Amino acid sequence: MTLSRMFYLYKRLYIQQLKAILEYNKDFYILMCSAALTQVLGFVFLWVIYDRIPDINGWQFWEVTFMYAMIFLTEGMGSLFFEGTWRLGRLVNQGELDRYLLRPVPVVLQVFCTGIGINGLGNLLIGGVIIWQSLVHSHIQWSFAKVVILILLLLTAVIIRVSINLAGNSAAFWIRNAGNAFPLMVHNLADLAKYPVTLFPQAVRVFISTVLPYAFISFYPATYIFGKSGWSGWWMLAPVVAAGSAAAAYGIFRYGLSKYESTGN
Amino acid sequence: MSIIEARGLSKSFMQAVKEPGLAGAVKHLFIPKHIEKIAVQPLNLSVEAGETVAYVGPNGAGKSTTIKMLTGILMPSAGSISVNGINPYKKRMENAAQIGAVFGQRTQLWWDIPIVESFSLLKDIYQIPEPVYKANLDQFTELLGMNEFIHLSARKLSLGQRMRADLAAALLHNPPILYLDEPTIGLDVSVKQKIREFIKKINQEQQTTVMLTTHDLGDIEDLCKRLIIIDHGSIIYDGSLSEVKSRFARNRVIFFQVGVPMPELYNLLSQTPGMKLDRQNEQEFSVSFDRYEYTASEVVSRVMKHGEVIDFRMEDANIEQVIKAVYDGNLDLNQKGE
Repeated sequence: MTLSRMFYLYKRLYIQQLKAILEYNKDFYILMCSAALTQVLGFVFLWVIYDRIPDINGWQFWEVTFMYAMIFLTEGMGSLFFEGTWRLGRLVNQGELDRYLLRPVPVVLQVFCTGIGINGLGNLLIGGVIIWQSLVHSHIQWSFAKVVILILLLLTAVIIRVSINLAGNSAAFWIRNAGNAFPLMVHNLADLAKYPVTLFPQAVRVFISTVLPYAFISFYPATYIFGKSGWSGWWMLAPVVAAGSAAAAYGIFRYGLSKYESTGN
Repeated sequence: MSIIEARGLSKSFMQAVKEPGLAGAVKHLFIPKHIEKIAVQPLNLSVEAGETVAYVGPNGAGKSTTIKMLTGILMPSAGSISVNGINPYKKRMENAAQIGAVFGQRTQLWWDIPIVESFSLLKDIYQIPEPVYKANLDQFTELLGMNEFIHLSARKLSLGQRMRADLAAALLHNPPILYLDEPTIGLDVSVKQKIREFIKKINQEQQTTVMLTTHDLGDIEDLCKRLIIIDHGSIIYDGSLSEVKSRFARNRVIFFQVGVPMPELYNLLSQTPGMKLDRQNEQEFSVSFDRYEYTASEVVSRVMKHGEVIDFRMEDANIEQVIKAVYDGNLDLNQKGE
C-alpha cells in the first residue's frame, strides 16, 4: 500500500469519525475547556515557583515553560489525531479488532482513526501559545535553519509521543482486562520530561532518553533552541530516536496482534 | 485446487485457571496457572469454487474459531490454509480484499454514520470501480429492501435491517468468497427468507463460494448441498445433505387414525423391538420405527390386520433429528450407518 493511499484512507476514516463526534458529542466544549484549564493551571504553578527562585539548575522560566508546553502540545496532537491508540484495550477486550482485521487496510491505521480526542484541541491551543510566548521572551538568534530545525524537532516529538502511546497501549494484547492501567502509567511518566533532566539522578536521565525517550520531546529540543552548552549536538539524535521509537512500537503492536484471540463467538 | 484448502489446521488458546473467590484471584496474581484449551483439533477442509457449505455444530464446537482462522483474524496454532492461493494470516490484506464476511453477532458497519456513507467508505477501502459500486448498490438495495433505512445510522437499525445492511456491505466488492457466521440469528421468518434468497441469488449469479455456520436448519436446507459437522473441535461429518438424511435419519414415524380402539394392537406394538408406540388418544397414535429393520409397508400392514385405518400419514425424514442426535451425543456419524 502506498503512503499516499494510506494518507487518503486516514483522511477518509478521520473525517467520518469527526462527523460522528460533531453529531453526538454534546460535551465538545466542556472537554476542550477542561483540557485547556488543566494546562493553564500547570503553567500558573510554574510561574508561582519561578516567582520565588530565578532559575532551576541554570534554566530560566520561559525555557522550562517551553519544555512543559512541548509535552502537552504533543499530547494534544496525540489526542486529536491518534486517540484511537487509547481505545486499543477496549478493541481487544471486546473482540472489536475482528472488524479491522477483515478489511484490506493496515490495522494500525484503523486503530488510529478509532476515536478523536477533541480535548486535544485545548492542549494544542494552549501549548502552541505557551511555546510561542517562550520563544518570544527568550533571546534567540533566529535563522532560517533554526526555524526548519524547530519544525523538524516538533515533528519528531509528535512521532515519539505517538509511538510511546501505541507501544504502551499494545499491552492490551497481554493484559486483556478492559481497564488496564499500564498505558496510563507509561503516559504519566512523560511528566518527568516537563523539567530539565539535570534535576534527576543519572538512572532517570538515561531512562527518559532511551527506554521511554520523552526527553527528546522536550529537553533536547530545548537545549538546541536555547543554545545550552554542554548538551550541544544531542538534539541531532531526535530523528534517529523518532524512527527507532516508531519501529519498536510497530514491532510490539504487530507481535501483540499475533497474540490476539478475539472473543468467544 | 480447491478455493478454500486447510491442512492440519488447529487452534488452541491458553486459558487462565483461577480458583473461585477473591483468594483464588489473589493466588492467580502471584502464581498464574494456565491450561491449553484446544478449540480446533487438526482438521482438513476443502471447499470448491461456487459451493455453498454449511458448517454446523453445537455451541463451542469450534465453528467460529475455524471461520476466524480462514478469514485471517486469528493466527492458526498449526497447519496451513490457502484461500484462493493466499495464506489469510500472512497476507491478511490481500485475503481481506477477496473475501466478504458477516458475523451475525457483530456489525461490520460504522456505528454512528448513515449506512449509505458506510457503503461509500467501503467503496474507497476496497477500491471498487464506480460502475460496479453503483450497480451493486442499486441491486442490493432493491433485493434486500434497504430503501427505508439506508439513510439511518447503524445504531438506529433493527436487527433485521442491520443484518441486511451487513450482508450488502460484505458483498459490495464482489468477493469470490463469502463467510457467514450465523447470518440469520435472531431474525424473524420474513427477513430470514429475504436473506436466504439473496444469498442463493448471489451464489448462482456470481458463483460466489459460500461457507456458513448456523443453528438454523432452515438455512441449511434452503442453501447448502454440503454439510460439515464439527463437534469438540473435530469434523465428524463431511458430505452431502441428502446423504446425511438417507443414511442417518433412520427413524421414521407414521401417524394413524383408526375407526375403533385396538387395545391388543397397542400391546403388540409396544412389545415389538425396534418399534415405538405413542398414543395421542383412543383412536389416534403414531409408530416410530427403525427403517433398517422394518419397511413402512410392514408397519402399515400390521396395523391394518387389526382393523380399519381411517387415515395415516408419514413424516418426512428430518435433518433436525439427525443433528439434534449428534449434538446430544447420541449418534456417532462415523460408526453407525456405514
